[in-house]
Amino acid sequence: MTAERKTERIFCRKTGTVGRNRFRFLAGAAALMVTVSFSLQGRMLTVSAAEPSESSALAQTGKTGEKITLRIANWEEYIDEGDWDEEEAIELEDRENTVILGENSMIEDFEEWYLENYGMEVEVEYSTFGTNEDLYNQLTLGNDFDLVCPSEYMFMKLIAEDRLQPLSDAFFDTETEENYYVRGVSDYIRNIFDTNTINGEPWSRYAAGYMWGTTGIVYNPEKITREEASHWSILADPKYRGQVTIKDNVRDSYFAALGILHEQELLDPEFLNADDRLERIAELMNRTDEETVAAAENILKQMKENAYSFESDSGKADMVTGKVLANYQWSGDAVYTLDQAEIDDYYLAYAVPEECTNIWFDGWVMLKDGINGSEAKQQAAEAFINFMSRPDNVVRNMYYIGYTSVIAGGDSDLIYAYADWCYGADDSAEDTMEYPVGFFFSGDTSDPDYVITAEADQAERQLFAQYPPQDVLERAVVMQYFDQENNQRINQMWVNVRCFNLSSLTRQDWAKIGIGVILVIAAAAVFFKRDDVFRKRKIQN
Amino acid sequence: MMNIRFSRKQLCIPYALFLICFVVLPLAVIVYYAFTDGSGRFTLENLLSFFSNGNTIGTLCYSLVIAAVVTAVCLLVAYPVAYVLARSGLKRGPVILMLFILPMWINFTLRVTALKEILTVLEGNLSLHPFLNTVIAMTYDYLPFMILPLYTTLLQLDESLLEAASDLGAGPAAVFFRVTLPLSMPGIVSGITMTFLPAMTNYVILDMIYNSTYIMGSLIGSYFNIYDWNNGSMISLILFAVICIVTLITGRGDRNNAENRGAIL
Repeated sequence: MTAERKTERIFCRKTGTVGRNRFRFLAGAAALMVTVSFSLQGRMLTVSAAEPSESSALAQTGKTGEKITLRIANWEEYIDEGDWDEEEAIELEDRENTVILGENSMIEDFEEWYLENYGMEVEVEYSTFGTNEDLYNQLTLGNDFDLVCPSEYMFMKLIAEDRLQPLSDAFFDTETEENYYVRGVSDYIRNIFDTNTINGEPWSRYAAGYMWGTTGIVYNPEKITREEASHWSILADPKYRGQVTIKDNVRDSYFAALGILHEQELLDPEFLNADDRLERIAELMNRTDEETVAAAENILKQMKENAYSFESDSGKADMVTGKVLANYQWSGDAVYTLDQAEIDDYYLAYAVPEECTNIWFDGWVMLKDGINGSEAKQQAAEAFINFMSRPDNVVRNMYYIGYTSVIAGGDSDLIYAYADWCYGADDSAEDTMEYPVGFFFSGDTSDPDYVITAEADQAERQLFAQYPPQDVLERAVVMQYFDQENNQRINQMWVNVRCFNLSSLTRQDWAKIGIGVILVIAAAAVFFKRDDVFRKRKIQN
Repeated sequence: MMNIRFSRKQLCIPYALFLICFVVLPLAVIVYYAFTDGSGRFTLENLLSFFSNGNTIGTLCYSLVIAAVVTAVCLLVAYPVAYVLARSGLKRGPVILMLFILPMWINFTLRVTALKEILTVLEGNLSLHPFLNTVIAMTYDYLPFMILPLYTTLLQLDESLLEAASDLGAGPAAVFFRVTLPLSMPGIVSGITMTFLPAMTNYVILDMIYNSTYIMGSLIGSYFNIYDWNNGSMISLILFAVICIVTLITGRGDRNNAENRGAIL
């Protein structure tokens, strides 16, 4: 029964790939073309800059019945688009036995819901982006969006640059029925958003979470032991030369390199038992001093020699087809990879390194330029966040995307019921285990209300990836946004790793090149002097 | 009469607009960014740092080597094919030519994906020979661009010139090297231009074939990714200069040959 359900969930997933960085390689396809669009948008900048003041003036009059346009940008394939088959209906065993079925797209449903609840018409202009950097470039070039959903380091950058509109007090009022976000967000996540600050301001002042997860290693348990996969060093292990993939972005790769660099310290018993372990991990993993960066550069060069590929999307497919044995992955994509492999009866697992992991978030933030002081617009934007956080909608999005929402549900037990629907073992299953998820749902791991009875292997597979156990979260740290100077140092390091440097050639290499050049010149000389050669032959004839 | 001339001029307007919007203006923007720093002040720092940095020079060399090897391999493979197709009067010549051109109708990312699978079967693990794989993939991708111009040139070759050469006592080798090859020079030049230049920058193929070393295209992309438009623009500009030089050199070879042809005639 469970197996059926699982395959149902896998098969029903709408699309082929769910990649955060899917179109990365097309992103800057050619600098010329990029610059073309820059220049064009730059030209339009002057035109569009005049517009918002007009439109906001209209909105500020605040007449009921006035139509608001809400411009939203989100990752590709990162929201439920509706149109499910009847058979896809999810029958949950929560208190109300809710049936979840996405008929219309989330956007349409929101427009309808907003009109019903707020008595105002809203029109959503929904766009997507492929990378955080694409989004940032777009934000720099024009006032295109009101509400966007970048990853944590990007919204930290936007906060630091004072480009975000703070969430209103009304948004945080837990008494209001419609405030699904504050009423439903997991305490664990809420705490992270409250305690992480940039320039003294907590994230939660500007950002509301959407999806979250860890980073770790997807691996083939038949070829690699879990112990091996539970260390960052597997990514540089010569034993698996050409059989592991690494992320093609500097932040993720740098994090892994630091994990290898500080391995001994991170696994030291004294360190493991320290009360302030999490703070100390965070300090170690966010170091960007010259010495650390130089050491990381060496490790990354080693990783480059050792890896199968630096990938931004292909790693999932290479893992499923068995081309590689281990794959550095975000937990959301790990779940997807495991699901895909399972269709072919190929069983993979996911491990989070013992040293530490990078906890990541995608979150909703409002642009100051976009909102431009319009209360009506801000209300609509905040209502959108809340609508996305309504438990039934959370389930729809999680089903469609496969990632884990930051929402635990609050009073509603719908989201826990969905987790149970996905992973709960069925009564006839023999090899089961009790998997506590209370840490996320109620803040207490030992909470008996939040224990999923799952098949035993789920402790190392999808359930583990979607709802990591407490010990994983005890070593999960946020990778901060680095300031200009440190950022530049890390980026330069990355270019050093990726570029072919003449100084890397040995004397032997130079000798080979020299011989090659001489041969080519000789061949050319023979070719151009061929007339003489032929003539001589003729005379001989 | 006046009227017709006037309307002919008008026909150029759409193209001129296109040229200004998508070639001249972007180029101006690139030049602006290349010679300014982050705050918009004029600087030569970007230019100097390109030539004083082992990475950028190394990447330029790496790209040039890849492009040169790919072009050479393409030429060596394509010339005999084009020669046979054009000169030997095969009955099914056009059909065979079609077979070479057919892959061009399929998007190159799909073709490279397919090639990747074939190479995996042959080599076992793609990551062991990144340079070789890159050359194979690019040769595969650009071969039609080399064959087509060669085929067209060789097809138009005046038979009587070859006959004349034979009549005057030239052996087959001499006919080929002294008549056929020089006369097909325009095809060779346009083939080289169409292969060499994209081979220097097409980093999508490198990404897909898992060569994790940057070439010029990916280096530019990496600078734009970290919002460093100034250095990115300077590298684009330098690449543009390299391309201009290559075009000039090949173009001159072409003109020399045109004179040679005159001499032969």
